[in-house]
Amino acid sequence: MKTMRTLLGLAFLSAAALSALAEGPAIGATAPPFELKTIDGKPFSLADAEKANALVVLVFISTNCPYSNAYNDRMRDIANAYAKKGILFVGVNSNSTETVQDAVDHAKKNGHTFAIVKDTGNKVADLYDARRTPEAFVIGKDGKLQYHGRIDENYEDASKVTSPDLKNALDALLAGQPVVKAETKAFGCTIKRA
Amino acid sequence: MPNFPLSALRFQRRAAIAVLLFLALAAPGRAADATLLTGALDGKELAAAIAREKGHVVLVNFWATWCVPCREEFPDLVRLEKAYRDRGLRVLGVSTDLAKDLPKVEKFLAAGHPDFPNYRKKSGGDDQDFIESVDPKWGGEIPFTILYGKDGKKARVLSGKQSYADFESAVSALLR
Repeated sequence: MKTMRTLLGLAFLSAAALSALAEGPAIGATAPPFELKTIDGKPFSLADAEKANALVVLVFISTNCPYSNAYNDRMRDIANAYAKKGILFVGVNSNSTETVQDAVDHAKKNGHTFAIVKDTGNKVADLYDARRTPEAFVIGKDGKLQYHGRIDENYEDASKVTSPDLKNALDALLAGQPVVKAETKAFGCTIKRA
Repeated sequence: MPNFPLSALRFQRRAAIAVLLFLALAAPGRAADATLLTGALDGKELAAAIAREKGHVVLVNFWATWCVPCREEFPDLVRLEKAYRDRGLRVLGVSTDLAKDLPKVEKFLAAGHPDFPNYRKKSGGDDQDFIESVDPKWGGEIPFTILYGKDGKKARVLSGKQSYADFESAVSALLR
């Protein structure tokens, strides 16, 4: 009996250690609601944004991650192009190492006119189990998560992208079609949690 | 000037010329071929490299030269490997740098003096395939570390930068 208890204990400990990586919302599950302030001091509510837009794109970004910065122009272009189609693009800065002023300066330098929220204490990153920058989450009007992953597969060269996964997801959803690749991955910088 | 016999001076001069000739002829070739990387791996080959170390605790660390926290924690891994090698720890480093950044990788390894093998992720293909093959729960964030027990099974995953104490605690628990 004692051996059995020890084995069960060890199995539990192993599972706990391996599951140190938390789980975010699955595709089709409700995206956790949150309220934060934008870096220019305006209130932002995900629930309100969902109601007012066809889709909401949350992208976890960084001011100094080379992988995130490689996408500065692509993020600006996607935000501008899809705003006309009723899609709200929101940058989320959860890095404890980056201040609101850093985010303001970075947005100005890169022509980012889309809303950027500061996730102090990385509460939203934890809710979504966002791990890296850049990392995108697309949420439908019904509040359900429709896409999670990368912007595309080629961080090095925007002109050689062969799999524009975020754009593909947005186009499919706007057309009322299912997203073929709803979960994608890429290398990126760890979100620096507090 | 010291008073050397002529034959000794001639010998010295000839020896110096021979050394210079050898360096001139051999060094460029060696420099071009020299690498501090052990090789390039895809997901399957990495799994095989880990399996070859069965019987040891294996720590696999994914890093890149562009990743500041990776560079910060690397000296701790070098220290950890030295301290725990004789107790059964094996460390494998895997650079995820792009092929164009290999000179930076070489420079980084030359400065870091790791006594453990460092590979690079094979170029080409979709990074997602590599990430998934290493660990389906890995989001692609680096630094990222996986620990395997002596039985060869995955035992711990450490996402993000770790302190020496974090690494030491995780490794010690598995070496017991």
